[in-house]
Amino acid sequence: MKYGDKIIRVEGVIVEVHDGAIGIDLKGRLGYLEVPLRMVISDYPFEVGQTVAWNMSFIEQEGPEVDEKYVSRLNIYTQKRRDIAAKKKDKEED
Amino acid sequence: MSITAETAKQHANDPAVLCCRAEEGTVLAPSNFEDPAIFPDLIDSGLLNTDGALKLGQVLNGSKLTKTVDSLTPITPDIIDKYDELEGEEEAPAEEAAPAEEAPVAAPAATLAPVVGGTIKLHIGEGKNIDIELPAGLGGGAVAAPAAAPVAAAGAAEAAAPAEQEEKVVRTLSRRHLRIDKVERGPETKIENHVLYIEDGIEDKAVESEKLVQSLKIDVITPDKYHTYSETIMDIQPIATKEGEAELGEGVTRVLDGVLMVVSGTDANGVQIGEFGSSEGYIDENMMWGRPGAADKGETLIKTEVVIDAGKNMERPGPIAAHKATDVITDAIRKALKKVDESEFEADLEEFKQVRRPGKKKVVVIKEIMGQGAMHDNFLFPVEPVGTLGAKPNVDMGNVPIAASPLEVLDGCIHALTCIGPASKEMSRHYWREPLVLEALHDPELDLCGVIFVGSPQANSEKFYVSRRLGQMVELLDVDGAFVTTEGFGNNHVDFVTHIENIGKRGIPVVGFSFCAAQGALVVGNKYCNAMIDNNKSMSGIENEVLECNTLCPEDAVRGVAMLKAEMAGEEVKAPERKYNVNVKTNNLELIEKATGKKIETVENEQSLPMSEKRREKYD
Repeated sequence: MKYGDKIIRVEGVIVEVHDGAIGIDLKGRLGYLEVPLRMVISDYPFEVGQTVAWNMSFIEQEGPEVDEKYVSRLNIYTQKRRDIAAKKKDKEED
Repeated sequence: MSITAETAKQHANDPAVLCCRAEEGTVLAPSNFEDPAIFPDLIDSGLLNTDGALKLGQVLNGSKLTKTVDSLTPITPDIIDKYDELEGEEEAPAEEAAPAEEAPVAAPAATLAPVVGGTIKLHIGEGKNIDIELPAGLGGGAVAAPAAAPVAAAGAAEAAAPAEQEEKVVRTLSRRHLRIDKVERGPETKIENHVLYIEDGIEDKAVESEKLVQSLKIDVITPDKYHTYSETIMDIQPIATKEGEAELGEGVTRVLDGVLMVVSGTDANGVQIGEFGSSEGYIDENMMWGRPGAADKGETLIKTEVVIDAGKNMERPGPIAAHKATDVITDAIRKALKKVDESEFEADLEEFKQVRRPGKKKVVVIKEIMGQGAMHDNFLFPVEPVGTLGAKPNVDMGNVPIAASPLEVLDGCIHALTCIGPASKEMSRHYWREPLVLEALHDPELDLCGVIFVGSPQANSEKFYVSRRLGQMVELLDVDGAFVTTEGFGNNHVDFVTHIENIGKRGIPVVGFSFCAAQGALVVGNKYCNAMIDNNKSMSGIENEVLECNTLCPEDAVRGVAMLKAEMAGEEVKAPERKYNVNVKTNNLELIEKATGKKIETVENEQSLPMSEKRREKYD
């Protein structure tokens, strides 16, 4: 990475709380992050609206190559979701 | 940041560098100096150059500045009026330290066991508003020590003990193996002539058993079908049952060889259960075959694909339902296994003896298991090996430390819901073949008194709560040494190091095991984290999405045992390099091999798996 050592403080707001994960909106609508609980260090029970902060750097593209393994995995996944959606629609129409 | 007299003493052999501007005529005191722990980073970034600097221990004897200098100036002879000469050989830099007088009889002269986080001086505990800043890449060293020195020392101690006390077998556990050649479907679940038949339509029973489960599909994956797409693998479980009235951890356990249960699933929208610990993909590319917690090549996998209600994949009842529904099928097989005639089993029983060795070094294995909620949970102490019936989730029990016998661990007392990440989580099968428990149990120089499971809760306050209970429990065990292991990485490292602190501050030598390397570096540390084993196996030290790749293996157990023995014998464990370096581990293994004369087999990593060329370029 070319800029990997440029660490910046990022703040966010908890917008979703699950038993095993929380969803965070980056302040300023700069993105959304969902992380498992164990990746969060906390002192209190989680609640929607609490603010969080962490350090990160910008995300850098590693190169122009495409990893076919991930593409095939993704295709299987999206196809499956499409099938499920289609099935649901059929059911509703019935 | 200035340092205290105590820190200055610890760092007597490190360069003396001023923390703040100091006027001419200042008599140097510890408060004038910067903490040497942060020097490597300053040197790396070009802010500091300690070449030619005097040592801290040389300038704290009333030395006076002859010049006004700025902060971060190394003390050199030209800016002070006087300094002490270096004392003796043992004051040499740490890399060369050879505590020869401590172990004069030992053949390999020095104990060469580098440590994770040896330079971190953070104390968590009861502080408030602590801002912690640590260099990235901290804490990544693997460690061990030659066994010869401690052995010699221990031997001497035993000779002095009143009399050689006899070994005592507390209890035994036997496994009766039944080979399964084929898995087929049939009108009822039964085992005949080494063929396992699973009842047609048993899926419906499994679905009915759990409200949240919408559907369940069974795939029998034989070795020729390993290149099959699978949803995320949530768990890998041995199929076993107790014989007669025997309870978990003793008596006879019947177990099927060559076949395993595998739990996988998604929610109704197709989202993976335990989305984050996701290892979906082709099984042959995504599993590190042969790890204690994984399948071995050649085994047939009975894989359930459970679909639970939409949106429940991240809620606690979701993963639990998937596991319980799968257990309906496993339980049917267990019942069939109970009925098989004894003559069909292999003639030889595999026997595990829980041996206490009075007079030897008493040790305890502490396994930190996840307890943050949802899939970060484990069912403890089921009635049947790796079952769910009768078991209690450690989250419901407040994650407090719970004692188990080593044989209970090997008999499947943990049904792991397993969380993230795939490469470092411990599957149910891992406990069935737990390398550290086996190594400590079979070591004739150790008296393993038991295993303690302690959950890792979410909130820091709860983490410190369970940690203090653990410290107290270890204190009353009166052990000579302790192992602490954890799985995965993340906030569980907070309690992991607090456990080590709570044990270490009671004067008990402790060795920690965790995946750290590059990605899972410890976020905190304390002075007791001086003896650590890194479970990393991946080439680049990352979570490589390959199931079980970075879990505790026999080679790690061997290193940990050697290190704890060295610590208990009063040997010094050497500090690691600042960045993760796999050579540390290789060197230590070589030292152990040399000292014990035994060859240690090391396991392969993800490089041995089929994988696309591009992925290889990207990651390794």
